[in-house]
Amino acid sequence: MDNNDISKLLRLKRYEQPPAEYFENFLAEFQLRQRAEVIHRPFFQIAWDRLCRFLAPPSMPRLAMAGSFAVAVIATGSVLTWSDSETEGLTPSMPTIAQQAPAPSSPSQATKSAPAVQYVLPAEVVTYASRRSF
Amino acid sequence: METLDPSDNQLVERTQAGDARAFDELVVRFSPRLYGLIYNMTASHEDTNDLLQEVFAKAYRSIRGFQGKSSFYTWMHTIAVNMTINFLKKRNRRKTMSLDDVDNGILNDPDFIAATSNGDPSHSANLGELQKKLNESMLKLSHEHRAVVTMFDIQGMPHAEIAKILKISEGTVRSRLFYAHKQLQTHLQEFIKQ
Repeated sequence: MDNNDISKLLRLKRYEQPPAEYFENFLAEFQLRQRAEVIHRPFFQIAWDRLCRFLAPPSMPRLAMAGSFAVAVIATGSVLTWSDSETEGLTPSMPTIAQQAPAPSSPSQATKSAPAVQYVLPAEVVTYASRRSF
Repeated sequence: METLDPSDNQLVERTQAGDARAFDELVVRFSPRLYGLIYNMTASHEDTNDLLQEVFAKAYRSIRGFQGKSSFYTWMHTIAVNMTINFLKKRNRRKTMSLDDVDNGILNDPDFIAATSNGDPSHSANLGELQKKLNESMLKLSHEHRAVVTMFDIQGMPHAEIAKILKISEGTVRSRLFYAHKQLQTHLQEFIKQ
């Protein structure tokens, strides 16, 4: 018995196939299973799929899509952080009222040494009359 | 095998664009062949049915990542073989194949006639016994060897294609086949001598 005989015997196994109806039913079963999967999928996964389909080219793998999305988020975050620190350095820091005027220890001292703090109030006429006119 | 079948390619592109019906067509086209592959590795129709469903589900989920570097045929077979080997490792038990599903066409096959009757009535074996011996011998092979034998001897795939699917060299394919055939020869020797 040589390789040829073995091959001939093994070729017989090609006939071990289910009946033709099986493959017709198989597709229907597959579609049912797919639909069931869609129904039971969490919302965020469906939303993510749609986002991928909308944004990425068809041949782009999902992992690459997720990776580029993560890179984009990190890049945006770092740019925003950098621009905040930049503006902090450029604008003169305004001293707070507490720094400008230390709290007086006594009321008399307060009237003498404290600089005049000016408050700007909105220039709006105070009236109790109703604004409604009929 | 090397070049993409245009129809398969078109169906893949349509599926990637969101056309689920195109994928249905691919399922119809590939299910008989993949069924044979998985069935001859698992030796169970029930497991084959479940695995085949999972293979197509996985292919559908991953089809956006398919870039056409290999043929869709190779890609599908790679998914099927990997999933089946993983399944067999988990299952880690042997099952006997059902003999009820053997197609009657085997009775007209010249190889079968030659193997079962050499003019001597005492030499002839019945279909059930021949199948039983074949199945027993196949199940004694390791998963990896069985995969190679299934693809080469049963499905008639060339060495190069098997090497691509299993991501091994052609030399490894040939050596696995040689070793598997040796094992099968030993197991079937007694049956042939009868």
